[in-house]
Amino acid sequence: MGILERTGTLPDDLADASLALARAFGAGATMWCLAPGLEAHARHLAVEFVHPVIMGKRALPAVAVAGADALALLRVQTRPGDVLVAVAGADEPTVGAAMRRCRAWGIASLWIGAGPRPAPGAADVVLWSDDPRAPYSGGAVLLYHLLWELTHVCFEHAGLLRDHPDAPAAPVSCADEPCITCSDEGRLAEILSVEDDRRAQVRTPAGVEAVDLSLVDDARPGDLVIVHAGSALSVVER
Amino acid sequence: MSGSDFLYPFIEADERDQAGLLGDLAASAGAKMDQSAALRDETLARLAGEIATLAGEMTARFATGGRLFTFGNGGSATDAALSASLFALAPGGTPLPARSLAEDTAVLTALGNDVGFELVFSRQLIAHATASDMAMGFSTSGNSDNVVRAMAEAHRRGLLTIGLAGYDGGGMAASPDIAHCMVVRSESVHRIQETQSALVHAVWSEVQDRMGTGVPS
Repeated sequence: MGILERTGTLPDDLADASLALARAFGAGATMWCLAPGLEAHARHLAVEFVHPVIMGKRALPAVAVAGADALALLRVQTRPGDVLVAVAGADEPTVGAAMRRCRAWGIASLWIGAGPRPAPGAADVVLWSDDPRAPYSGGAVLLYHLLWELTHVCFEHAGLLRDHPDAPAAPVSCADEPCITCSDEGRLAEILSVEDDRRAQVRTPAGVEAVDLSLVDDARPGDLVIVHAGSALSVVER
Repeated sequence: MSGSDFLYPFIEADERDQAGLLGDLAASAGAKMDQSAALRDETLARLAGEIATLAGEMTARFATGGRLFTFGNGGSATDAALSASLFALAPGGTPLPARSLAEDTAVLTALGNDVGFELVFSRQLIAHATASDMAMGFSTSGNSDNVVRAMAEAHRRGLLTIGLAGYDGGGMAASPDIAHCMVVRSESVHRIQETQSALVHAVWSEVQDRMGTGVPS
């Protein structure tokens, strides 16, 4: 098809993102919108969902997060099952840090941008424009307009919003140990506080838990660690 | 399957054809992308003369210390903020004094609460604007009361007035207070906003060209 040839995988990526977003909203998610440096995009994205341009469409919970404390605000306000949508270049450090924490926080991630693409796996879904002018020339706005439009199409397909054999995997819950899913790799967690050199409170999709820090040096709040069987095994990012 | 099911193949609550829905969504996305690009290209071509004239007038005002104030409501407020960021901060461009009047919640809520939401932009122009400045108002309908009123105030004060509208241009297209009213002829708020951003980007690019910055167009 000519359309798809010209626009690459973007239409398919938009379709995947919209269905995932509709399912998340259906399950009670809040959408958190982040666009450091161009906060107007985060606000535009949020207002589309909160105050639909088409009368009669559902108002959905979306929030723009702005300012120097955006990461800390996301940390305290997001709940497992929520969705983070960023509009930013691949090298934006706050977005990178937030995206890397999404698995520890148990939230889905969507990254909209232009220019060089983020590394594979940087977000659950990436919607990317080849045009470096897109942040200012309407291309980025088009992507999140289409995300809103297609998400509302999905709400007309109630049967596909529930659990489904083909549905993308939900964040894995590892609340009950031992956990077969986690036994090989351990779980990603973010350190919330260090009580002494030996113990820390960490956040995972299952909630807040205490872990042993004996195996890692100099762990600090905000660090991402791999946790297995009650112990932090290594620091992945600080 | 009943006689009309082919019209609404997904309406049942036990719908299971995820691949079918994703295919429809992707086809719709592709078609909308094409519509957006076609509207943008048609509008940029139709308004090429207006863009060039406006860019010349804005360049002259920036050169003599003029400042750009932008404003709008809702998504148009964010498009106004993005346009101000483009002129003030965009990588590769000469930074130019531009800011949005829809950003400061203390000012907006004070004016909205005390004197009325229809005056939130015009009152700020009264406080800030001089005759060398520029006012750029966004309204997809062309009828936003506070934008139309701010345009009238700006015109009274000698500012260069620039309107970005949609549909048939509404009250903004007919207003004698707006020197350059660029109308995106569409009835989709989203497609209008996308092309409005492209229009402002084209104006900015031409202003930068005239200043010798040499940014890519």
